[in-house]
Amino acid sequence: MIKSLWNIILTEHDQILSTTLVHIKISLISLFIAMAIAVPLAFILKNHKKLAGFTLQLAGIVQTIPSLAILGLLLPFVGIGTVPAIIALVLYAIMPIFQNTYSGLVNIPENLQEAADAFGLSKWKKFQRLELPLAMPMILSGIRIALVMIIGTATLAALIGGGGLGTYIYVGINSNNNTEVLLGAILSAVLALFFSWFLNFISKNKTRTKIGLGIIAICLLIWGASSAYHAMQPQVAEKAEPQEIIIAGKMGSEPDILINMYKELIEKNDPDTKVVLKPNFGGTTFLFRALESDKIDIYPEFTGTVLQTLVKTNQKTGSDPKQVYLEAKNGLKNQYKMTYLQPMQYQNGYALATTKKFANKYHLSKMSDLKRVNKQVKAAFDPDFNNLKDGYPGLKQAYKLNFKNIKTTESSIRYRAIANGDANVVDGYTTDAEIKKYHLVMLEDDKHFFPPYQGSALMKSSFAQRNPKVVRALNKLAGKITTQQMQEMNYLVNVKHDKPAKVAHNFLVEHGLL
Amino acid sequence: MISYQNITKKYGDNIILKNISFQINDNEIFVLVGPSGGGKTTLLKMFNRLVESTSGDIFYNEKNIKDYKIKDLRQEIGYVLQSASLFPNLTVGENITIALEQKKVSKSKRIDRQKQLLRAVGMDPDLYLDRMPNELSGGEQQRVGIIRALAADPPVVLMDEPFYALDPVMRKQLQDLVLNLHHKMGKTILFVTHDMQEAIRMGDRIGVIHAGQLEQVGKPREILQHPATEFVKKFFAGNKMQASLDLESLLKGELGVDPRFYPKTETLPRYHVYSIRDLVKDCSNHPDSLFIAETEFGVFLIEPKRVWNFLLKRVVDND
Repeated sequence: MIKSLWNIILTEHDQILSTTLVHIKISLISLFIAMAIAVPLAFILKNHKKLAGFTLQLAGIVQTIPSLAILGLLLPFVGIGTVPAIIALVLYAIMPIFQNTYSGLVNIPENLQEAADAFGLSKWKKFQRLELPLAMPMILSGIRIALVMIIGTATLAALIGGGGLGTYIYVGINSNNNTEVLLGAILSAVLALFFSWFLNFISKNKTRTKIGLGIIAICLLIWGASSAYHAMQPQVAEKAEPQEIIIAGKMGSEPDILINMYKELIEKNDPDTKVVLKPNFGGTTFLFRALESDKIDIYPEFTGTVLQTLVKTNQKTGSDPKQVYLEAKNGLKNQYKMTYLQPMQYQNGYALATTKKFANKYHLSKMSDLKRVNKQVKAAFDPDFNNLKDGYPGLKQAYKLNFKNIKTTESSIRYRAIANGDANVVDGYTTDAEIKKYHLVMLEDDKHFFPPYQGSALMKSSFAQRNPKVVRALNKLAGKITTQQMQEMNYLVNVKHDKPAKVAHNFLVEHGLL
Repeated sequence: MISYQNITKKYGDNIILKNISFQINDNEIFVLVGPSGGGKTTLLKMFNRLVESTSGDIFYNEKNIKDYKIKDLRQEIGYVLQSASLFPNLTVGENITIALEQKKVSKSKRIDRQKQLLRAVGMDPDLYLDRMPNELSGGEQQRVGIIRALAADPPVVLMDEPFYALDPVMRKQLQDLVLNLHHKMGKTILFVTHDMQEAIRMGDRIGVIHAGQLEQVGKPREILQHPATEFVKKFFAGNKMQASLDLESLLKGELGVDPRFYPKTETLPRYHVYSIRDLVKDCSNHPDSLFIAETEFGVFLIEPKRVWNFLLKRVVDND
């Protein structure tokens, strides 16, 4: 684990750094907005006890809404990306800052307030010389609480395309890669600890506060200057390239590789078009909504997923890939006015995998072979797979299986179980990198029990009509990429830590698609 | 001149002050004295409008205080609170001239003023200017509290039980300090205390407040000799003097003042004092001026007024 963590850090440090910076950026922007709201509000409300109480209650109620729910509620209004993430974080951070500032202000001893009034101090002078300095330790501790909370909660931003360290966590969860989960978790914890320490450090005494504020000011200045610089740059570039297409992908290496292929194919075909990629943009629903609301133009989706979660249909998902694709395509066209291009060859669905040794010993290549070895199988299944109807229970009926020895384990450690020899059959996805990594044999679903999951580009029909060149470019992938090739590419990205862009490029070149 | 006219204060149905009228002359120390909860502090805070009266008016230099801009009024008034109430986040120096800071007096002038005032109360500016309030003793804090009230040179100073929290020795030192500063600077001081000994020591005139009523106004001697009500009589008789009548304990306790608090004592007349009799004789020879008494147990500054008040009180007590 530590070794693979080290490996990621060595090979992807640029990306880790930029992801961390995005995380810091989201957190700090949210914090500053929350401060700009909460501190003046507390100052205004300090003499209005009832109103302050009401505000506190309101902020408290907001606090109790799960952050994921807030993101969901905001989705129809502000869409996806950084903005809703920041809004949600601000809503969360207001409460601790307001509460602490308020109690810091109202707990200033009566006699000091009276003295300030009696010496004829103006409101501003009183605020500046008495109230703010005396409330400062409380305010800072409120800010500290808020910041630690924000840094933790900001990991959710990854779910709605906001980026940040959450990306590692969700990508890791989705691809059974504990190392990435750990990386995201450790980095966000380290960030929280560091900022907490920093605020604590500067709140100790006046000199430190001054030094701290100076450092913050310098950082803001550099940041402001660099973002102003960046803001200047693309303006020039945009004039030269009139069209910009945004392509997003779900969490994980596979969509990342695919959208890099899309980019290269489109740009090769039409050099005037500029493609912007948003890898690891979020889950199915978020991406689909983003497409609907024109936040993105294209994303790759699976046929099976379309039928199961996007298109409303009364029928059970069939098992014939062609049939499934047609159903998905028509459903999308009729219900959403979307165009779904011809799928690629590979299927990324459930599969059972076994070791080479076990397969050779009993001559296993298809799932129907398994019923011969019911007694020899030591299976390790994901709990969901083991219990859901379209998992093992269904499989059992279809293939007349009856494994004697089944263990359920967390999805991430299934593959380790088979590598260690604790198991000889596991469930997984057909394109999982681990199949190559541990030299496993995938058993063919010869009775087509699992619904087919074929990937292809999804876009609005209006977009497809406006951009025939793009459609033509993407159609080059139709029927290409075998399951094994996809496995290989996932392996290169997930295990060898090659860049998805490089892997995508090499594939396109090798197969003459450019 | 300050004139309270028919002041009444109610909190709901609760009458705190009932139709109170009195006047404070320029440059006198006027003491409001009486048991705690009688309404003295409320009366005091009405003058700088920290508390508003329910009915009645207060006039300052013939003008209703409500016709002053509140900021202008407060700049005319220094304020010493019960606890020193220094701003804990500011240095001693910054505390002293907070009122000048509001008036936008330049920093160098403020520092000059800080040093001058610290010296006036026997505190070394080099030592104290940059200290924080919590590094001072209670007595030192209250001294800073007093000079903070004087920094803007206001004609009127309000003192609300300023020595309440101090031990008797420190209290006497600070009483002496205020008397001296008053002697030199000639402010109008409104002084609130529940301690009748302090009232007699400090007051040019005294107003006795009891349960929201003004019982009597007069010079200490008048009040001691001719108490107007049964309450006033009991209040001043209740505190029997315990000090014995030997010279040493009298000078070290009630009557003598450490001349170190008084600058320029070298110009004052000096007399050898061997007995109480000598002291009384010197006082009657110089009824209106200070002098230095040299004794075998030390040097003391004597204020004849205080000696008379003391003797008068002894007489009343012995009645």
